[in-house]
Amino acid sequence: MDFPSSLRPTLFRTGPLGLSNVPDMSFMCSWRDTLTLPESLPKNSENGAPHLSTGLLWEPETPGPLPLLPPGPDPWDPGVTAQDLLFRGGFPFRRKPQAVLDVTEQLSRFLWDHGDIAFAPLGKLMLENFKLEGARSRSKKKTVVSVKRLLQDLGGHQPWGCPWAFLSFRQRRFSILGGPVLGKSVASLLGELLYEELATRWEQLLLDDAFTGGALAWVPGRTAQVGQLVYPAGGALDKLCFQEVSLTPGGDPQALGDPGHIQLQGPVRQVVTRTVQGESLLAVRSDYHCALWKVSKQGRPAPLQVLQVGKGATGISLSPHLPGELAVCSRSGAVCLWTPQDGLQQVYKDPETLVFCDPSPWRWADFTAHPRVLTVGDRTGVKMIDAQGPPGCGLLLFRGGAEASCQKGERVLLTQYLGECSPESLHPTLHLICTQFSLYLVDERLPLVPMLKWNHDLPSAPLWAQLLPPPRPGCPQPLLLGGQGGHLQLLHLTGEGASAPRLAGPPQSLPSSSDSLSAFPLLEPKSQWRLQERLKAPTIGLAATIPSSASEPVLSLFQLSVAGDVFYQRLHLQADPGPNSCASTASWTPQATACCSRWLKALLKVPPAPPVWAAPTFSHRRLLGRMEQREVEPKGPEALRAAMAEGRLLRQRDLGSLPSAEPPPTPEPGPEDELSTRLEAAWEGQLATWWERQQGRSSGPGRQPKRRKRRTQLSSTFSSLSGRLDLSDATSPPHSPDRASPEARPRPPVTPPSQESTQELWARDVPSERQQTLRDYMARLPLQGDTPQGVSLPLSQTSSIRATPSRPQTLPDGTAELPPRRKTLRGATVSSSQTSSIRATPSRQQAPVLSGSQPHRKKPRMGF
Amino acid sequence: MSDFSEELIRSKTEDDKEESCVFSGTGMSFPWLQKHIGTVETGGKKEKDFAQTTSACLGFIQEALLKHQWQQAADYMHSYFQILEDSDSHKRQAAPEIIWKLGSEILFYHPKSSVETFNTFADRMKNIGVMNYLKISLQHALYLLHHGMLEDANRNLSFHCTYIPHLLYPFILQLLDYREVVHEDDYAYNTASQNMFDHSWKTSVNLRALIQTPGVWDPFVKSYVEMLEFYGDQDGAREVLTNYAYDEKFPSNPNAHIYLYNFLKREKAPREKLISVLKILYQIVPSHKLMLEFHRLLRKSEKEDHHKLGLEVLFGVLDFAGCTKNITAWKYLAKYLRQTLMGNHLAWVQEEWKTRKNWWPSFHFSSFWAKSDWKEDKALACEKALVAGILLGKGCRYFRFISKQDDQVLRKKIKQIKKSVKKHSVVNPGL
Repeated sequence: MDFPSSLRPTLFRTGPLGLSNVPDMSFMCSWRDTLTLPESLPKNSENGAPHLSTGLLWEPETPGPLPLLPPGPDPWDPGVTAQDLLFRGGFPFRRKPQAVLDVTEQLSRFLWDHGDIAFAPLGKLMLENFKLEGARSRSKKKTVVSVKRLLQDLGGHQPWGCPWAFLSFRQRRFSILGGPVLGKSVASLLGELLYEELATRWEQLLLDDAFTGGALAWVPGRTAQVGQLVYPAGGALDKLCFQEVSLTPGGDPQALGDPGHIQLQGPVRQVVTRTVQGESLLAVRSDYHCALWKVSKQGRPAPLQVLQVGKGATGISLSPHLPGELAVCSRSGAVCLWTPQDGLQQVYKDPETLVFCDPSPWRWADFTAHPRVLTVGDRTGVKMIDAQGPPGCGLLLFRGGAEASCQKGERVLLTQYLGECSPESLHPTLHLICTQFSLYLVDERLPLVPMLKWNHDLPSAPLWAQLLPPPRPGCPQPLLLGGQGGHLQLLHLTGEGASAPRLAGPPQSLPSSSDSLSAFPLLEPKSQWRLQERLKAPTIGLAATIPSSASEPVLSLFQLSVAGDVFYQRLHLQADPGPNSCASTASWTPQATACCSRWLKALLKVPPAPPVWAAPTFSHRRLLGRMEQREVEPKGPEALRAAMAEGRLLRQRDLGSLPSAEPPPTPEPGPEDELSTRLEAAWEGQLATWWERQQGRSSGPGRQPKRRKRRTQLSSTFSSLSGRLDLSDATSPPHSPDRASPEARPRPPVTPPSQESTQELWARDVPSERQQTLRDYMARLPLQGDTPQGVSLPLSQTSSIRATPSRPQTLPDGTAELPPRRKTLRGATVSSSQTSSIRATPSRQQAPVLSGSQPHRKKPRMGF
Repeated sequence: MSDFSEELIRSKTEDDKEESCVFSGTGMSFPWLQKHIGTVETGGKKEKDFAQTTSACLGFIQEALLKHQWQQAADYMHSYFQILEDSDSHKRQAAPEIIWKLGSEILFYHPKSSVETFNTFADRMKNIGVMNYLKISLQHALYLLHHGMLEDANRNLSFHCTYIPHLLYPFILQLLDYREVVHEDDYAYNTASQNMFDHSWKTSVNLRALIQTPGVWDPFVKSYVEMLEFYGDQDGAREVLTNYAYDEKFPSNPNAHIYLYNFLKREKAPREKLISVLKILYQIVPSHKLMLEFHRLLRKSEKEDHHKLGLEVLFGVLDFAGCTKNITAWKYLAKYLRQTLMGNHLAWVQEEWKTRKNWWPSFHFSSFWAKSDWKEDKALACEKALVAGILLGKGCRYFRFISKQDDQVLRKKIKQIKKSVKKHSVVNPGL
């Protein structure tokens, strides 16, 4: 192979990124890049400017992309936005913007929506301090609050953040009484977790790397004019579709028939295809699985193998050299070569990042010009690893640092091998490396020194790139770069043989799907907003092809959005760029607008996604007074209510057949986790002792005297409560003859006590004079109708997880035949916590059912 | 006045918070962060109208540039100059660089732009802010050079030569690169230009100092060495090239070794010397086309380990995707394999084959390649078939396919291949 006979002069510095204070202008002006290479300077330069392809331009046919397929039947919701996460009261226009996560609002929303979870255990502890029934407090104790009056005072006020809310004396007293207890537990325990979750969501909003590489692929068919688009569809993106598309030279791409599909059991994150030695292969990456299909000449996929990746897969690439060979990388930092015949071969493993410390577990692997050498990338750099060499050695190909004059905070987002072995293309040793600021072309024969750097200035993360073959012999090769926000850039690269790769002209931007808005008819605001949101949906895949047979080269570009929409656009290479040529503006054709209208009509037929959250309507007075029962209720709560009214035990048979439940996982006591020790104590019936222990610990000498006084008041009431409890009885599990099985013993470890527990709470060993009133009150409590239903929502969702028996059958070599059946509410946004949700939800599901089967009147389990 | 002092205070406090654009924890910065933050309604104070219009205008210019709408970009640029009057000192200072970057881009591509327009623009821009003077002068000179206006470029630059800071070397070198190219023409064809000659000598003194700095200076080194050779300073040239190739502070640039090798070849250096240079190139770029030359040198050498290396080099070349159709390499390999096996060095072949036997068959010798090679290049197919037969035995698909072909012209050759395979195949050495 030829090596460029003369490279562009650059200084070589070593060191960390962000240190370079060399003027960085060289990467911004495309004209300088086209000029500064000696090859571009003809010897007869005296005659004028060297020839530059200034008019090199791919002209879009329409001002924006058009829908190729009708919208899917599943509703789509844009999910969490910055507005949901960020604090709204700051100064927005700083030179350096600052994002402040709004934990308080989220916390208050949580408290309103799930007050039962947040406050039930504490409510139980403070039961002595509340009087649930009766107008007036007969006792003279100031520490007992009448709930009815309290709720009356609260009634009608709007929730959160109303500074003008009237504070009654009772409320004030209540807040003084409960403040330290409620505030501490909720804010400190939940706040921290919530902040963590919000930070993860915010990071995901800024950069969602799950779809790196793209989930849309073009499989060429038997002729140049026909091919297949492979993409995920469905609300959870778990249906892999194969849509045959014909590309006629004159007209728009046509979808031929309905797409064939394969139902997968996880969201599709990346789809890769490659034709090696005449064999078309298709690789798909899901969160925890990778799969490989072989696509026959007729376009039918035949499954080859499925691989389970325990820690989660982050990237998959197909070898351009050997058919059926793949590189898979996982969050654990391992990179494996995978062939269906020989299984897995671990090539590299390092949980640490390459150049400097970065917390991201994202890893990427691709091939190089040598079939046994792989590139391994993370956020900080890219390394070349010899699969046959001793482990641990390798050569850094790209270093996030002064070598490539990286900026501060610059990170690698995508690396891609650009090798193509056609004679008229670029060197087959080039690698594309994209960061949020720039793109680099690095030759593997000259590591660390980029051959080309271009400041792409994309307003979203560039996660997709595709190098296309030259449209005409001798023409520069188009390199497509796609951002998550749908932004597209097209660069023209030349440099074959003895010349170094360079930009052949100024890069151009292509229309994105939000540019298509003008093709749609004007709608009423709500639908218009919906359409706008839909068009703005983040892109998750990109595929482009230039059918070679056409006389005039046409670039067909397909784009897949996270809402499942496939849009296309066609671009023509400007025939002969004259000196006065200028970009002409495309306009909408009647066919295009008709196509958009059809699509819109279908879109508006799709029911809108149910709102994720709505502000609570707030009146407890009405809630307390409302007696009517729900007409349709699940059997469990009904039976429970009947049993309560009759004052008898609730038995297994009352509830009908229970789903066969696995024992809930045993609690894992963390070292210093206050919440779980408390919950554990509650389950074992030793909440009171826990509380006392806690009291003893927390009322240290450092406290303020005033607070201590309040605390002692509180603790005295609590100690009086605990004094009346029969601890020895409570600690031993109640022996119920109806026990179905010993493993049905309810001890879910982290189940937040939900409203079922609050119901039981009422019936606990409360002072005898109140028991009857409580019982009466309980029978009328509307919560009974509401809460089990509220809980049955996740139940029905999780039962589908449990019902399907197709757990992955893990083969000895780490491969599995079937990925696990799993559904997520919104597959796109719930990504990282998916396995944990599989494990966590059953325990949540069991909680209501099993606690329902408890004998809960006379001998209640302590704490519930 | 109050506005100004406010700006001073603000810029100071905000500089302190520079870290805040980086999201806590990851250390990564996001250029689209402001966009997200901007969507959140705030009760805080709004950006000034002035700043809003200028940033919108900047957006329009960038959009127009990326759509190659030069006229539109020029129109917007006209309005963008208002940023030079921004009360925000930070923005005001950053403005000239942005204006120069965008403006030069527009003027370079605009169909109605001319050298005069560009000159006027550059001269105006140089006088806005001292910091930009050098940068703009250098780029302006570059532009002039490309338009063949060498004299103007020289005049433009000569003023700064004395105090160009170290950090601007890359820029100068880019310029010098062109000068050198031009000079090359000069002293080869137009020795009359004494003035230029002087100038080249003067710059060469500077250049000698500059190439001590770690970096990639290919065009410069090349021209400099040629110049030294022109003056007959062979030792000086050798020293420059050796230093360029072997200094550890420099990136491992294959061209450095190639230049040194070519120089030594011109000098008619002994074979040992040439081999030692190419040995290093072999370690950096085993796929380089010089490797075939390296193989020839090794083959001719008397040393046995050179013969072994010769085999290794050929296998190494054919490992790479870009070299699979290199018929010379296959021819060499076929010939050398036979030679090695005849020389009773089966162990050498086995050693090379050990790491390749699990992937070469599907990489080179699949039936797909057999068919396509036969269709495209029968000579290549024959060479490959011979190698496949030797390495994999006559049962191998590639060999079987080629040996079954009935071709009038190649019948004799195929017969020979069959014979060689029978004689030399590694798989069944007994046969």
